[in-house]
Amino acid sequence: MSEGTVTKLTLVANDGQKMQVDRQVAEKSVLIKNMLDDLGDDAMLSAEIPIPNVNDTVLKKVIEWCEHHKADPAASNDDDSDSRKKTTDIDEWDQKFMQVDQEMLFEIILASNYLDIKPLLDVGCKTVANMIKGKSPEEIRKTFNITNDFTPEEEEQIRRENEWAEDR
Amino acid sequence: MRGHHPTMAPITTNGPYRATPDPEGDSQSSSSNSPARADYEESDFYTGNNDSQSSIGVPTFQDMAVSEESCEPPANRLPAEVLIGIFSKLSSPTDLLNCMRVSKRWARNSVDLLWHRPACTTWNKHGFICRTLSLPNPYFAYRDFIKRLNLAALSDGVNDGSVTALQFCKRVERLTLTSCDGLSDGGLVGLLEGNHHLLALDISGDTQITEASMYTLADNCKRLQGLNISNCTRISNQSMIAVAENCKYIKRLKLNDCDQLEDVAIMAFANNCPNILEIDLHQCKSIGNGPVHALMSNGQTLRELRLANCELISDEAFLTLPPAKTYEHLRILDLTSCARLTDRAVERIIEVAPRLRNLVFAKCRNLTDVAVNAISKLGKNLHYLHLGHCGHITDHAVIKLVQTCNRIRYIDLGCCVHLTDQSVTKLATLPKLRRIGLVKCSNITDASVYALAQASGRWPRRMHPDMPDHLAHYPSTGSSSLERVHLSYCTNLTLTSIICLLNNCQKLTHLSLTGVQAFLRSDLEQFCREAPPEFTEHQRNVFCVFSGQGVMGLRSHLNKLPLNHAYDPLANGPVDDDEDQTMTGTDHATLMMSAAALNADEDDADGDEELDDADDNGGASFNHGQT
Repeated sequence: MSEGTVTKLTLVANDGQKMQVDRQVAEKSVLIKNMLDDLGDDAMLSAEIPIPNVNDTVLKKVIEWCEHHKADPAASNDDDSDSRKKTTDIDEWDQKFMQVDQEMLFEIILASNYLDIKPLLDVGCKTVANMIKGKSPEEIRKTFNITNDFTPEEEEQIRRENEWAEDR
Repeated sequence: MRGHHPTMAPITTNGPYRATPDPEGDSQSSSSNSPARADYEESDFYTGNNDSQSSIGVPTFQDMAVSEESCEPPANRLPAEVLIGIFSKLSSPTDLLNCMRVSKRWARNSVDLLWHRPACTTWNKHGFICRTLSLPNPYFAYRDFIKRLNLAALSDGVNDGSVTALQFCKRVERLTLTSCDGLSDGGLVGLLEGNHHLLALDISGDTQITEASMYTLADNCKRLQGLNISNCTRISNQSMIAVAENCKYIKRLKLNDCDQLEDVAIMAFANNCPNILEIDLHQCKSIGNGPVHALMSNGQTLRELRLANCELISDEAFLTLPPAKTYEHLRILDLTSCARLTDRAVERIIEVAPRLRNLVFAKCRNLTDVAVNAISKLGKNLHYLHLGHCGHITDHAVIKLVQTCNRIRYIDLGCCVHLTDQSVTKLATLPKLRRIGLVKCSNITDASVYALAQASGRWPRRMHPDMPDHLAHYPSTGSSSLERVHLSYCTNLTLTSIICLLNNCQKLTHLSLTGVQAFLRSDLEQFCREAPPEFTEHQRNVFCVFSGQGVMGLRSHLNKLPLNHAYDPLANGPVDDDEDQTMTGTDHATLMMSAAALNADEDDADGDEELDDADDNGGASFNHGQT
């Protein structure tokens, strides 16, 4: 983490928008952190860092999240207690943060996957999981606008072969 | 068996075959190694794309090409690893099944999560699972997704027929067949044959199993890390030697009650399996000193050694250990009822294993203060100590122990009949003490209970400025950490001290007072736990144990009794519902408590007339039964 002085990085979204971000905030992204480590501070601090897969609106949103969570302790890579957490509990601020339209929700997930921000990806996955819970296949398709590409026979076969998993 | 943490190279199962219609199987090849469902491993869907510029692009692109739509629904743009990440947050099989039915792509990415550990929790489900596994042409190759099989919930009815269909599953890593008494080699051999992935096998209580299964295990399951054959008394020594020689990665071994096993079998493990972390030989009565010596001196990673009731073990097992070598990894040593051991063995053990954390010498009746003094050298490392029935121990050694080992959380000194209030008063100062066992320490009086009650150190300091000096350095932890207190057959105890204990120790979840006359009252029965079914009529009559809700019930009941308004110094906890009573009680109780504290260094704590109420030793004759 940056000691003492706050240094700024310049990120460039795929639509050309530039934004200045505190180094500590940007380093929530393991992708960016690794770039800093690999290329050295001098090169990075003076240059603009292109984020080719993320547009301006999404990048702003992601940075907002990193800003809020910048003081969170870095999650150790294979922390046992962490990985055992199967709950889909989401803290309150994150829940509000994730109250966006579905398009944006998935964009955030994709961006956090690309930028390698595990805790944000995790919150995103939990949010989607919560949207799935308790829904029938048809309701899930409707929610996410997914086409059923099974034939009725195939769907019935899947149901029958996995019958043990049905609630009873 | 407990959760094992395989640290071996991950098992690579390259591309499980897919019987039918999904030849491209986008995610499966990458997730074949135990997806996120497991509780010891996390999905590794994150790893591997840290530096991948294309982690979004490629799968998205692929999918878009398929749909040829520019207005692709956003959900379809999620790469497989993210889809798996989402599905792995779903804990209910029903939710996962509903995901499977959404679309082909969703099915491909949820199926192995669903089948990772199929729930054989009812015979109905078991039947459905077996039916699917037996299908000639299933939609997916379900049998290859199964990494964990657990039939413990069905144990009563399991026989060789119940596992026939499960024999198709050759990638099982954890096989749990606890108490499947009806299972014989015919069934188990089929499950083990051809399975090269098995990491852990639990057949404890499967009494029909013989060496035939063990030879198959040795031949097939070279990666095995955990084995529990407790109570499998038909397994031969020779077959266990074969297991030891072939399964060199074994880390955890539980052989409880296998009294047929002899030194040669255990020696084979000690000599062939250098990674042993935990070994439990509880009640392996034929085991002598040789294996103990070998396990200690060969196993540089040995963490846990349990030898309870291995009655042949003597001092020699430890005295012959090579000089100037220490076993830094050893944390847990259980020598319950190794009654031949003397102080000399204990001294040597502490010398060679300075980082012991849990130590059990219950019923090692030869031990004296010399052993306890040796144990004291463990200092802060010691968390758990059981010296029940070590009847020679005196206050002197206990006081010294507490001085150096101040991180003790659990201590049992039951039946150490010489101990007095001096010991308990000192023990009460342990800042992290959560459980204390003093059953049949019949010398102790209410003074001990008052000391335990004030272990929190908060009220004497705050409420009583002229507290005696020896109490002034009591660590203040804010609130009492005591959770379980065993005081059965401490026949001098009275209601008044116990009320104080209840009110000061809000974390208390267990309190045993069997055979204490003052508590054999009909009005307390409603809070008392049911006596174990094997108890005699007499044992039932004196049985008096409160736990969980019973403790809370007892607390509020005793606080409502008219006689007790004076014994409630602190009760501002949620349980107390009568504030007036609390307030008026405070001063008097404080006085009383400090009286007890002051008297703690003498043998007699009768500082208050209230303490005379109950009789002294009405329960002295109830000297059997348990807490």
